[in-house]
Amino acid sequence: MSDWVEIKKIAENDEYATYDYFFGPNHPGMHGNFGYVCDVVGSTIVRVRVNAGQLHRGFEKLMEQNLWFQNISLIPRICVVDPDPNEVAYCTAVERLFGIDIPVRAKYLRSLALEMSRMTSFLMGMGALGAMMGLYSVMYRMLTDRDHLLDMFEWLTGHRIYHMYNLPGGVRRDLPEGFVTKFMELLRELEFNLREWDSLLFENPVVHKRLKGIGTVTAEQAVGIGLTGPNLRATGFVADVRKDDPYAAYPYLDFDVITTEGGDALARAVQIRKEYEMTIGLIRQIIEKMPGGDTKVFLGNPLKFRVPSGDTYARVESSKGEYGYYVVSDGGLKPYRVSVRGPSLPAGLALCHEHLPGMRIDDIAIWMASLAVCPPDIDR
Amino acid sequence: MLMVSKEEIMDGKFERILNFFRSRSLWMLYYCTGCGAVELPPTMTSRFDCERFGFGPMATPRQSDILLVTGYVSVKTLKRIIRSYEQMPEPKYVIGFGSCPVNGGIYWKSYATINHLDRYIPVDLNLTGCMPRPQAVIDGFLTLADMIRKGEAVGYKKYRMNYEWYKRNQDQVLGRKEPVFKEIPPAAPVQEEKILAMEGVK
Amino acid sequence: MTNSEMAQQVQSHFPKSSVASRFHNQLEVVTDAAQAPAVLATMKSLGFEHLSNITCVDWIKYNRFDVTYNVWSYQHRIHAVVKVSVERRVNSGEGPEVPTALHVWPQAQAYEREVHEMFGIIFAGNPDLSPLFLHNWQDIPPLRKDFDTEKYSRQAYGVGGEGEGEAQ
Repeated sequence: MSDWVEIKKIAENDEYATYDYFFGPNHPGMHGNFGYVCDVVGSTIVRVRVNAGQLHRGFEKLMEQNLWFQNISLIPRICVVDPDPNEVAYCTAVERLFGIDIPVRAKYLRSLALEMSRMTSFLMGMGALGAMMGLYSVMYRMLTDRDHLLDMFEWLTGHRIYHMYNLPGGVRRDLPEGFVTKFMELLRELEFNLREWDSLLFENPVVHKRLKGIGTVTAEQAVGIGLTGPNLRATGFVADVRKDDPYAAYPYLDFDVITTEGGDALARAVQIRKEYEMTIGLIRQIIEKMPGGDTKVFLGNPLKFRVPSGDTYARVESSKGEYGYYVVSDGGLKPYRVSVRGPSLPAGLALCHEHLPGMRIDDIAIWMASLAVCPPDIDR
Repeated sequence: MLMVSKEEIMDGKFERILNFFRSRSLWMLYYCTGCGAVELPPTMTSRFDCERFGFGPMATPRQSDILLVTGYVSVKTLKRIIRSYEQMPEPKYVIGFGSCPVNGGIYWKSYATINHLDRYIPVDLNLTGCMPRPQAVIDGFLTLADMIRKGEAVGYKKYRMNYEWYKRNQDQVLGRKEPVFKEIPPAAPVQEEKILAMEGVK
Repeated sequence: MTNSEMAQQVQSHFPKSSVASRFHNQLEVVTDAAQAPAVLATMKSLGFEHLSNITCVDWIKYNRFDVTYNVWSYQHRIHAVVKVSVERRVNSGEGPEVPTALHVWPQAQAYEREVHEMFGIIFAGNPDLSPLFLHNWQDIPPLRKDFDTEKYSRQAYGVGGEGEGEAQ
């Protein structure tokens, strides 16, 4: 630690000792279009400035210009790796304001789409973490498995990435013929591959040495700064939106909240591996327990659909944390205000000022990948 | 607007011999500018494998051939894209990925994204779709390789010959000195009657 | 504790604000800018330790801005929406003022920077309110209700061959 004190003294006394390092938008280690401008002495960072806004589209203004049902085509595009929690949060808020409850089969189908989306996001996140450390074979294998899941999505909803599957009132389509048998085969294959990734990534001594001690947070720090999801559970704090504020079919399913001790990048990687296994078990439960029935409630003509005035906040647990939608309605045909809460903002914009000074520049990419900082939901 | 003749801009015979070799080894700049970038890793990894056609990723613009503009372009991104494009050595090609560089796509009403990329840098090929599948991306790459062999992918010459025109358009967006609205226009009236009248019901 | 009991507790601390419980686990607190720091600090001490979001709603026909804080309590599993109403003074040249929540929750600095850029509200006590998302923005703050985004897009970027982007 005495090195760090010396480096800070050099940086303060001599204005030409530091140089500007752009861990910037055009960088192979960056996930998406986002930048940190760092003041660096040698290879240690002294200060960080955030360069956000390259992905800003003005979503919240665009959503005020469309009808309530037209927004369904805009909403999945907020997050590119995990689009379903956004749709479910918006639909939950609208249904709560309208005062209806959707049929039970629709709840199970919503949970199925959410859990599948969570698995694709975990695969991409862990593949990116492996690639940041130089283990490209892990990324190639995980993305191939993710592609098989995207094929299943295309069969169920019609699109690989932006499903637009949830509507206010239920879901758009029912399960196709033969979907369940093929999907159970795919789940067996995914569970089998988990052993290969254990030996490649999660029990690899090189990975343990590289990830240990990066980005350590305690439970109080994490709650105070606003971390949610697997990042918070990896510090030992027990919190899961599926248990605290249940939505869709989670009240009927049987699962426990998993935590890990440690709070650093290695604990977060182990946490995601445990949650991946839990998700496969949850999907099996959903498919076994799914009842028959309708898939949606008919809410009248979409062009004349009005929501009673009021406001509410709906939250959903995604693979990165808590997605929240604050929807305000004044009784009209279009939303009055929709505000989106993305899970990466506390880590990307606030925690960086505490963690990055003192870190070497080789570790920034790993820090971002382990905290699941995904820029589209910072900029919206 | 852009007055060039076909003879002075298409590649001549000697260039086409070089293009035969260039089209089989093209490196793309790995800059994920927008949401379309999520279909690039599946295209480059083992399932669809675009590297067998000669396309591979490259980190720095100084050594790449293709600038892949994946998806919508916000104003801050436009500044970086122009800088990266001008750092690339010639010959260089631009592919507009998705529907957003063509006419604004689903974000055409937005105050933060530009609508026509062709006004700021020259675009050689457009791949529409939201988003294009990996098979469509590979099809687009092969079409670009075809265009290069025939001598038609000459956006960089257009940029060189009409530099003032492109620069004027870029400065209008990036170097703005006055507000666009000189006085605040009244907010658009709520068009509820128009929507209800569409159904024929009052 | 249910949300109606929590609503009564909050009301007992601040008899002049209006507190209501709604849906099955949410409550709503409406207050003004002078009492905002006290209300937020009390909410945090009552167990609402997780700040989800700071945002703003522009009620142009009632002539006010509602700066909204969404907070959640892990202990009681209750969500609270705290609305701080300020007058919509936009013509005097400086925006309406609200005290900052930086000392209660540190990530509020980033949220307040965004609300300042999008609505023009000044947060007294925030050290850094420079623009975060927009590049060289010269017009009025874009998320206000009197800013027409379709007209801006047509004029500034041109749609289908019209607008100032077209070549001469």
